[in-house]
Amino acid sequence: MTEFSAESGGRLKGVTIVKPIVYGNKARSFGKKREEDGHTHQWQVYLKPYYDEDMSIYVKKVHFKLHESYANPNRIVVKPPYEITETGWGEFEVVIKIYFNDPSERPVTCYHILKLFQSPVVDGELSSSTTMDTKKGLVSESYEEIVFQEPTQIMQHYLTLSEQSANGLLNHDTDFEEKKAKTLDNIINVKQKVKSEIVSLKDKLKLARETIVKFKAELAKVQKPPA
Amino acid sequence: MSADVRDILDIERANTPEITRDSFLATKKRNFERTKHASRRPEGMHREVFALLYTDKKDAPPLLPTDTALGIGAGYKQNKARLGMKKVRKWEWAPFSNPARNDAAVFHHWKRVSDDSTDYPFAKFNKQLEIPTYTMTEYNAHLRNNIQNWSKVQTDHLFDLARRFDLRFIVMADRWNRQQHGIKTVEELKERYYEVISLLSKAKNQSVEKKTFVYDIEHERRRKEQLEKLFKRTTQQVEEEQMLINEMKKIEARKKERERKTQDLQKLISQADQQNEHTTNTPSTRKYEKKLHKKKVHHQPRPSKVDSVVNAIEIGSSGIKFADLRGSGVSLRSQKMKLPANIGQRKVKALEQAIQEFKVDPAPPPTEEICTSFNELRSDMVLLCELRTALSTCIYEMESLKHQYEAACPGKTLNIPPSLVPIKSETLEPNAN
Repeated sequence: MTEFSAESGGRLKGVTIVKPIVYGNKARSFGKKREEDGHTHQWQVYLKPYYDEDMSIYVKKVHFKLHESYANPNRIVVKPPYEITETGWGEFEVVIKIYFNDPSERPVTCYHILKLFQSPVVDGELSSSTTMDTKKGLVSESYEEIVFQEPTQIMQHYLTLSEQSANGLLNHDTDFEEKKAKTLDNIINVKQKVKSEIVSLKDKLKLARETIVKFKAELAKVQKPPA
Repeated sequence: MSADVRDILDIERANTPEITRDSFLATKKRNFERTKHASRRPEGMHREVFALLYTDKKDAPPLLPTDTALGIGAGYKQNKARLGMKKVRKWEWAPFSNPARNDAAVFHHWKRVSDDSTDYPFAKFNKQLEIPTYTMTEYNAHLRNNIQNWSKVQTDHLFDLARRFDLRFIVMADRWNRQQHGIKTVEELKERYYEVISLLSKAKNQSVEKKTFVYDIEHERRRKEQLEKLFKRTTQQVEEEQMLINEMKKIEARKKERERKTQDLQKLISQADQQNEHTTNTPSTRKYEKKLHKKKVHHQPRPSKVDSVVNAIEIGSSGIKFADLRGSGVSLRSQKMKLPANIGQRKVKALEQAIQEFKVDPAPPPTEEICTSFNELRSDMVLLCELRTALSTCIYEMESLKHQYEAACPGKTLNIPPSLVPIKSETLEPNAN
């Protein structure tokens, strides 16, 4: 335990800073298969702040790991906009690793399934919000929050600087505010339903157990003579 | 064929062109191409097998080389070597002179008559080094800087050796005249040589075009000393070093292990904290119930499965304990919603189904509020699933008891409370009751 307290030296106790971000991809179909390489889509995978702020103040670099079939699949972007534009024909998981300006803060990793095709919409099936827009093409993006618990002094400094550079909300393709509110409503709603079902199930279970005891007694009565 | 016969019988044969290296290579190539194009399916070979050998691109088949006539280059089946079918090129014992020599010596060697008499090809390997020279005045002007260690005679001797042995300093040190000039090490020779070179080039203002070398004698001496020491280590010393390295690795591994354990402990403590909060609510009743159940189980002749399930639910082992990401450092909020690893596959499956059933986004946008309520919801859902299975087990047991009873005394029956007659039995036997 002594090691622990030693390690947390230089960190700001009780401070938590949250940076919301959005990551995902856009994709646009060529409308046909390209002759030379069979590619069908142009896509762009990106990471951006939720609020309009300068992420490079606290982010050192962003590492996008593409599918191994791409020429040098490890793409590193050191300044905004953190995005990679490529062409391709298939969907795969892009690993997005965010490194911070203070090396003692460990990097965090997001995983994004690159979307090129509109999948049939099933309720509650899509992990990220996918919208189809005839003008913009397909957009599939997720909301995420980076939580800095007890950041180091220098990191807190960077984060505050970035905060000050904030300039309102960025214009996102997905209305996350609406989505957040709806999701929360839905969860609270469902929770009520589940709770009430639990109560009724508990009652039923109690009754069932009593009935079983009763049945067993009855059965014991009729089975006694032969035994 | 006839050419062979003629050749053997030493009869004058048709005038074939003389073979040269170019013509030989050219024929080889042509043969190769011809065999490549003449790939026709042999009789009796199945088309599919042949297609394995030759694709439409005519590239080499992905097979082992064969010794049949099919393979490229005809394998070993070639009837005869194609060498010697042309007129022989003559060799002659010819004199030659080596331009690298300055004594005009003439030697002889075998060479082709057809080859042009060019210069001796190995002469170019006789590289001459340019060792700078200095005059007496130059020496007096620039090179008298280190007179107690290096006299004019010694410097002259050094440069003489340098010229004779092409700057091979090891040899130069070996041939150094120790009787006349005292003992000098390789490093000292090198130091003086490069010192003189740089002084001369500075004096002649050549520093722009030629790179001057600086020889760091101290560094070199230390480097050699280290190498010497490394070389002269005893077996025991080597073993001891290896042992120490292994020990260090072990210590590091142990340190890592310890760190991991403290982290686990931290996690356990935070989990225990959570559990304490739960249990403090109704500690006495739970204990009491537990005792009751134990007694019940004891009294019953056949402990039923139901009891264990119900026990589990009432003790509170159901639901999910989500990891509490306290501690410092950066994390993604969505990590908070990750299911802990100790959850069984069955629970996970049931949870997935419940999430689908209630139409909840399985990966909602992770704000703090959503994370908390989503986790609570899923914990409740697991409880719900367990209650459902427990109830269906109870009902199954009830029904089997009922059947036993009916079998034991025909004509009489037991009545299952209507609220417990599940939708399931309605669908199965709609006419019951």
